[in-house]
Amino acid sequence: MSNTVTGVASKRAYVLAIVLILFFWQVAAWFLPSFLMPDVHVALIRLWRELGSAEFYRGLGNSMGRLGAGYGAALLAGIVLGLVGGTLNSVRSTLKAAIIILQSIPSIAWVPLFLILMGFGNMPIIVVVAVGAFFPTALSVMNATESVERVHIDAARVMGASRMQMLKRVYFPAVTPELITGAQLAFGNAWRALISAEMIVGFSAGLGKSLAYSGEIADMTGVMTNILVIAVLAAVIDQVILERIKYRLLRYQYL
Amino acid sequence: MQLQFERVTKSFGDLKVIDTFDTTIRDGEIVALVGPSGCGKSTLLHMVAGLQHATDGQVKAEGRPVERPAPERTLVFQEHALYPWMTLRENVALALEFQGRPATEARKEACQWLARVKLDGFEDYHPHQVSGGMRQRCALARAFIARPKVLLLDEPFGALDALTRLTLQSVLKDLIEEERPTVVLVTHDVDEALYLADRVLVFSHRPARVLKEITLGHIPKTHDLSAFAGIRREVLSLLGIDTQAQETERQTEKGDVQ
Repeated sequence: MSNTVTGVASKRAYVLAIVLILFFWQVAAWFLPSFLMPDVHVALIRLWRELGSAEFYRGLGNSMGRLGAGYGAALLAGIVLGLVGGTLNSVRSTLKAAIIILQSIPSIAWVPLFLILMGFGNMPIIVVVAVGAFFPTALSVMNATESVERVHIDAARVMGASRMQMLKRVYFPAVTPELITGAQLAFGNAWRALISAEMIVGFSAGLGKSLAYSGEIADMTGVMTNILVIAVLAAVIDQVILERIKYRLLRYQYL
Repeated sequence: MQLQFERVTKSFGDLKVIDTFDTTIRDGEIVALVGPSGCGKSTLLHMVAGLQHATDGQVKAEGRPVERPAPERTLVFQEHALYPWMTLRENVALALEFQGRPATEARKEACQWLARVKLDGFEDYHPHQVSGGMRQRCALARAFIARPKVLLLDEPFGALDALTRLTLQSVLKDLIEEERPTVVLVTHDVDEALYLADRVLVFSHRPARVLKEITLGHIPKTHDLSAFAGIRREVLSLLGIDTQAQETERQTEKGDVQ
């Protein structure tokens, strides 16, 4: 099967890429003094120690909670607005233009506004994550909804589908492939928004806050360890969890 | 269910595709619409389905104007109308589920219909895993499961190879004989029209007008259409396909040959 062959090839490419990145890091560490750039193994040892501390898991838990809330809300809102906007010919182009304008604003730029609006706490971080993830989701769903095949819609109408049945049984499954692509793009945005918002807002423990703190006390091993955690987590969520969901939902395409 | 076309005219902007079309289709009658491509035959079908509306005139089903789609008037499309994300069984069951039947019951009945079109064993396949002919069998099952009173067929076998088409025509004929819906068939295939229909309407190029109405009656027919050779030649000449025949016909009849 060609799928498994490409799967193995892409896995090998990933391993090679990781080795290459760590190699360049190590080369930099050889040329720079250790207080500026720690050796790879030093950071890995620190990471191992961190993995045994309760503090690390508290930060991880907080960050994941914010990500889940913001990203989840954005997916839900993006799917609903994308489907509704995509089926309403009258508002579609205006809505799309609005999204394109708003999406060009870096989500982190909203932090000062939400911080004052909602007060110091989890909420501004969650909302910034949601803003980052919402636009690509809504846009991809809307574009896909627009291009659902005419014959698929007509067939459902002829079979007597109600508007709700049409959305659930025809539009939603028809846009799923594009939705997943949009959701993966949205995850990248959400992740970037989460880490930067946590670094700026600095409310309670979190991956971003931990990174910012290490920087403030000039603990470069801490900085590199945190970056390592952020990179690995993003890769795991995107490549393992989201890819697996994608495969399950689009199984009919792989059969 | 009786269908009436009353002075039906359809234009898209300045382009007139159908010009004052009038006919009545009796309950249980099988009518084929034959004509050059792009002449508006499919538009007529979509009007009966309630997917499109006449610019002028009216389409009536059982005396009432057709306003919107209803499962009692179902349409079989040329191809790609099955949902690729569903198995064949789910595709067929959907027609019942849309009418509020519980999913388990709908799927059970779908299996029976798939067996009737000889697709038993393929219930759990997805459309792209089976051949074009099998997809159209499934499309027929999906249309018939709702027990429509009017069956509209929009070049249902146009994308199939000649041999598969013949087989599918027989499958369709049997289903029609058993279920007895009123049938309107749009086709390019003159033989298909002669084989399936009780009455054939031959349309002109845009704007579509009826060039000729041929009443065959509801008689038993096989794929051996040699008994209809004369009619066949006439239809082909009206469509401007067989030029030799066209020349002969032209002397006997002042038809609107393009």
